[in-house]
Amino acid sequence: MFKQSYAVVALAVGFAPALQAEDLNALIWCDHADAELLRPFEEAHGVRVNVKEYEGTAAGLTLLEQSRPGDWDVMVIDAVDVGRAVERGLLAPLPEGTAPLDSYFPEVQLKDHVTVDGTVYAAVEKFGYNTIAYNKAAVDPADMGSLDALWSGKYDGRIAIYDYYLPVLGLVGLQAGVDTSDLDAAALEGLRTPLMSLKSASKQVSDVVGSQTALATGEVDILIGGGEWLTAVLNAENPDLDWTIPEEGGLLWAQSLAIVEGTEKPELAAEFVKYVLSPEGQARLATSSCYWGMPANKAAGDVLSDEQKAVLRWDDQAEYLKRAQLYPVPDGDTDAAMQDLWTDMLQN
Amino acid sequence: MTIERREKRQGAALVAPALLWTLVFFAVPFAGMAIMSLAHLEGREIVQGFDLGNYLRIFTDPSFRRGIFVSLEITLTVTVISVLLAWPLAWIIATRVPERWRRMALLIAVLPFWTSYVVRSYSWALVLGEKGVVNNALIGLGLLSEPIQIMATRAATVTGFVHFFVMLLTLTIYSNLIQLSPNYARAAMDLGASRWQVIRLVILPLTLPGVMTGAFLTFVLCIGDYITPQILGGNNELSLPQLIMMQLGRRGDYPMASALSVVLMAIVTLAYAASARWLKMERL
Amino acid sequence: MRILSWAYLIALFTFILLPVGVLVVFSFQDGRLPVPPFKGATLEWYASVLADRALMEALLNSMIVALISAAVSLTLGFLAASGLARVVLPGSVLMRGVLIAPMTVSYLIVALGLLQMFGKIGVRPSLLATGIGHVVINLPLCFAIIYASIGEHQKNALKAARDLGAREWQVLWLVAAPMLLPSLAAAYFLAFTFSWDEFIIAFLLTRFDVTLPVEIWSMLRSGLSPETNAVGSLVFLVSIVIVVALELLLFRKGAK
Repeated sequence: MFKQSYAVVALAVGFAPALQAEDLNALIWCDHADAELLRPFEEAHGVRVNVKEYEGTAAGLTLLEQSRPGDWDVMVIDAVDVGRAVERGLLAPLPEGTAPLDSYFPEVQLKDHVTVDGTVYAAVEKFGYNTIAYNKAAVDPADMGSLDALWSGKYDGRIAIYDYYLPVLGLVGLQAGVDTSDLDAAALEGLRTPLMSLKSASKQVSDVVGSQTALATGEVDILIGGGEWLTAVLNAENPDLDWTIPEEGGLLWAQSLAIVEGTEKPELAAEFVKYVLSPEGQARLATSSCYWGMPANKAAGDVLSDEQKAVLRWDDQAEYLKRAQLYPVPDGDTDAAMQDLWTDMLQN
Repeated sequence: MTIERREKRQGAALVAPALLWTLVFFAVPFAGMAIMSLAHLEGREIVQGFDLGNYLRIFTDPSFRRGIFVSLEITLTVTVISVLLAWPLAWIIATRVPERWRRMALLIAVLPFWTSYVVRSYSWALVLGEKGVVNNALIGLGLLSEPIQIMATRAATVTGFVHFFVMLLTLTIYSNLIQLSPNYARAAMDLGASRWQVIRLVILPLTLPGVMTGAFLTFVLCIGDYITPQILGGNNELSLPQLIMMQLGRRGDYPMASALSVVLMAIVTLAYAASARWLKMERL
Repeated sequence: MRILSWAYLIALFTFILLPVGVLVVFSFQDGRLPVPPFKGATLEWYASVLADRALMEALLNSMIVALISAAVSLTLGFLAASGLARVVLPGSVLMRGVLIAPMTVSYLIVALGLLQMFGKIGVRPSLLATGIGHVVINLPLCFAIIYASIGEHQKNALKAARDLGAREWQVLWLVAAPMLLPSLAAAYFLAFTFSWDEFIIAFLLTRFDVTLPVEIWSMLRSGLSPETNAVGSLVFLVSIVIVVALELLLFRKGAK
């Protein structure tokens, strides 16, 4: 009640943020909005974590640039984009020892990406794969062993495309034999034709919920760009929803947590990062209500239940990690070209 | 000081706050946006200038140009269908439904207005899906053997829009009809007009201002809406608002978003100019 | 003709009520997926909606923004309408045009303009910023409704009160407001409804404290769940109760 009357006053005078006791302001992806994840931290430190979701890295960076120093304390960012943020002076160095790297899956430390000029700026917190998710009751699982099946004509009109340009362009590249690390402006033009034919073979291009709805209702049977993060939450309802990494490979996504430059609460921010990377925090993040994904810290395995680990396919990770390639890391121009291509695809 | 001058001063003082509000929070931001539309992005830096590049791109890049057409096509379709569906409904409620049920009938006609807008669009997804109510009913009735795809097409977007605007238009047309004196119809009948002729030659023209006002509002609200095409259209084509939100949400390209908004504004202004002779906006 | 009319009425009512009906039915869905087939009834999703802190705060925020922004719109619109109805000012037509203008553009344009202006002068996105935007779109509405309801009769009454020596605020508060009460109520009600349900301005101009439509949107983006249906149904049922209560209390009385 007290907070509510505060809110009225705050609105009237327009100083809403200043009046609340202590806040940690986090720029995040939707999995961090889960109260189950935030509440233990809020209670332990007597603070409130304010979260704001953002969509693509470019928009997130623009948001930070337009804010004033101190507006933001921590942010979730694609591990491969940390360099772009550091280059613009948006991230603060991560205090040494914040991330329990010793118990990490070694492949997802991604030191090259979270370190700039010898300084560590972020720590990977969660990872997974963008590959093919499908309904095994409606699709021949053997076909899903290769990305070619999506272009074969056999599944025309039963495919949905996940609406994020980086992983899907990465996958289209893999099908065309282009490694994600070679995906530059020139290689991109070569992907236009296969991308457009993928579009004409598909029913829709949709966000997380649109894709889940379409898969769950049988509207489509295959989702390119999907993976465990999309099917895990549906597993209890429909065990037929499955995913696989085809022979061409899949894409490894890795999200990381960083402290924002200019924060007025560096200690609290560091505590938050530590909490999320702790075994308990990692387990809660891994099974967040928005989407599931593998925790970067192996120690979370002690906290997760066997069923949860089975859904996450804990035991297969070594083999998956071997076959997956990292997200494409486009420079500014390539990124713009990718988005243009993506817009063209949507519009045709 | 004459009485008239005092009157004028006081009148002006009463109008001033509203005028000021509109100028500061509407006219100035719009001017700012127009200036921003002449800037461009270099890397992530916004470079202000006098650069028509954004506009050039909107009218030459097929994806942007198509966005304008997609928006116009959807909006015109929606406006026409909504008027055609709403007019008879309003007429039936106003003249056929017994008087004591009229308010009730009108209330039912606009009932879903009070669900949250976002949820209302989304609930059409449940209705139009492959296993949704519509397909199930059609198959159950033996009218279809296979489910048809409605969801994630333009038809779904149009359906979601029409649903909302039929409610809005029924309301505006009804209030117009109810104000008409029954004497017009009676006089026409006395002069030997048939029932259809009365509707077509007397009532319809008399409701034209109401219809046009409603149609213009439909046009404005429809062409600027992001939610409905985003939820129901399946991203198989992009409308102007979707393109604008894409510039903001994914690319942080404010200059381009501004230029697209100015184009949107220009379209709405043209629509206003085209229908202005019938509109009485301040007499809604 | 008669049968045709009734058939048409029933067909259109079905169309209008269909999505709401489906929404409510699947809010009781026993299972995670609010999609056909219907698997049985549960109240689980209503319980989780009521226990959802973010959602309840968003509801409160929406209420505050709608109440205050509608009040501001009403006040400004009322003052402007009585001013313009009182005397013919030079540029009256232009002023009316300017006041009505925001009603003839898309909300998205209002939102984007404010977003950039606030960004430039360093005002953070907040409920206050959203409220300002809502006043921009609702002020024309309030002005139009009130201005239209001031006829010759009302003008004369106001003039008489002034001639009898009433001060300006007395004229407005004691004569004009009571006399125009029905249209003031209608204007407030409409402004409240539009603010309550507005998405795009609130989406672009808020940061952590969001309004209900924005919160529902992020629920919709973050995972499929009958909770979305439950919250939609709840909003619907509560609004219906309010509307029916208003109908019974205000309009019935007025009609008799």
